[in-house]
Amino acid sequence: MKKNIFAKKIIFFIILILFWQVISMAEIWPNNIFPSPYEVGEDLIFSASDGSLFFGIGTSIMRLIVGLAIAIAGGVVLGIFMARVESVNQTIGSLVLGLQSIPSIAWVPLAILWFGLTDGGIIFVTAIGAIFAVTINTYTGVKNIDPHYVEAARNMGAKGTQLITNVLIPAAFPYMISGFKQGWAFAWRGVIGAELLFSFLGLGFLLNVGRQLNDVSQVISIMLVIMLIGMAVDGFIFKKIENKVMSRWGLR
Amino acid sequence: MTKLETKGIVKYFKHESHQLMALGGVDLNVEDGDFVCLVGPSGCGKSTFLRIIAGLETPDEGQVLFDGKPITTTGPERIMVFQEGALFPWLKVQDNVEFGLKMAGIPKEERAQISKRYLDMMQLTKFSNSFTYQLSTGMKQRVAIARALVMDPDVLLMDEPFAALDAQTRDLLLVEMQLIWEKTKKTILFVTHNVAEAVVLGTKVAVFSNRPSKIKKLMAVDFKRPRLTEDENLLGLQQEILSELRPEVKKER
Repeated sequence: MKKNIFAKKIIFFIILILFWQVISMAEIWPNNIFPSPYEVGEDLIFSASDGSLFFGIGTSIMRLIVGLAIAIAGGVVLGIFMARVESVNQTIGSLVLGLQSIPSIAWVPLAILWFGLTDGGIIFVTAIGAIFAVTINTYTGVKNIDPHYVEAARNMGAKGTQLITNVLIPAAFPYMISGFKQGWAFAWRGVIGAELLFSFLGLGFLLNVGRQLNDVSQVISIMLVIMLIGMAVDGFIFKKIENKVMSRWGLR
Repeated sequence: MTKLETKGIVKYFKHESHQLMALGGVDLNVEDGDFVCLVGPSGCGKSTFLRIIAGLETPDEGQVLFDGKPITTTGPERIMVFQEGALFPWLKVQDNVEFGLKMAGIPKEERAQISKRYLDMMQLTKFSNSFTYQLSTGMKQRVAIARALVMDPDVLLMDEPFAALDAQTRDLLLVEMQLIWEKTKKTILFVTHNVAEAVVLGTKVAVFSNRPSKIKKLMAVDFKRPRLTEDENLLGLQQEILSELRPEVKKER
């Protein structure tokens, strides 16, 4: 069954690439506008062999990790506060919903003014893009905790931060993990977008270089890398964690 | 000696437009070492009464005295066992059982020593490293009972803990529960809708009336243990309790 799905996927992608190759060979558009998969592959191998690709990936991922870590730490704290203190929810909660609607790329001008053209600015855009998704999911998770968990824990003497770390966070974890997943998706978009606009180094920067050099192959190859990293993080990291959490928490 | 006393407990169920008097002044005296089973028509508020004693809810009138002192909140001397167990799915069985000890700041080795005793008592040793989703409903309730006993409470408050179990598992746990009570000398309040269960377990059975409920009758149960659900000499008392209960259930309609 599982093998079957995997085979289906492989066949689909092979057909897609062949299709792409055929179209490019038909020479409807000039080669420098619509390169063949072979040329894109060549470009990837070239940038991999001189190390610039891995350096770009490393730089982007480092920024992502720092930004996402900040978003998770801040979002979890804020979400718990909103869920446990009604007046925090009524005030800050509505602000969070409003801020959530701002695309992370719209924070870039502010980031440049506040942080200059630095890593700090990129990390700021990444974190702010992700934090509200984490906040809202944590809030929902804590709100949906089976009240018996909290009652049993209080009955056994848990209170204050003990209650938060030993019961609220683990009990809300299935929701929080979806928040992290959404947060990561926003963060990844944020990093690339911000790098595109104002950074040296990183995948977004490489995209921009490709554009400036009129090198369509490089642009497409970097886009592919961005997509593959996204699929890998979703498919391996988050899916594994989600599966484990869902079965252990008895949600499946 | 009186361990627990409730005086005129009144509780309203509040709905948006109206309120309903659920408990209409419940007086109950529980002696140290009593095993009191609370039976009553569904919705009469017997579970709420238990929750008030646990300190999870506050009464609208009246008070609960524990060792003569009024209680205001939850306390480790009154531990509740919930119907669905309320076990923490993120913890292994042993960590679930040790939860209260951990909250009290008892070091790891000591916790393990204490929990081992109760894991053995509830025949859970084999499962101490399992997660709760791997356990049957009966096993989960064993863990819930062990988790409560570890706290060494004076009073154990059990809210229909066996309601979701199949008949065989329940019969087994009914016998074990009697042994636990004899071994630990705990005072137990046990809510159930099952009269046979009440008669098997209790030293006393308190019959609740319909809303606004009071304790209609408190009956002593004096048969030798361990009692089994199929014991014929229990049937007479069961009938007697049912005849008290029947008119209360009918009032509901």
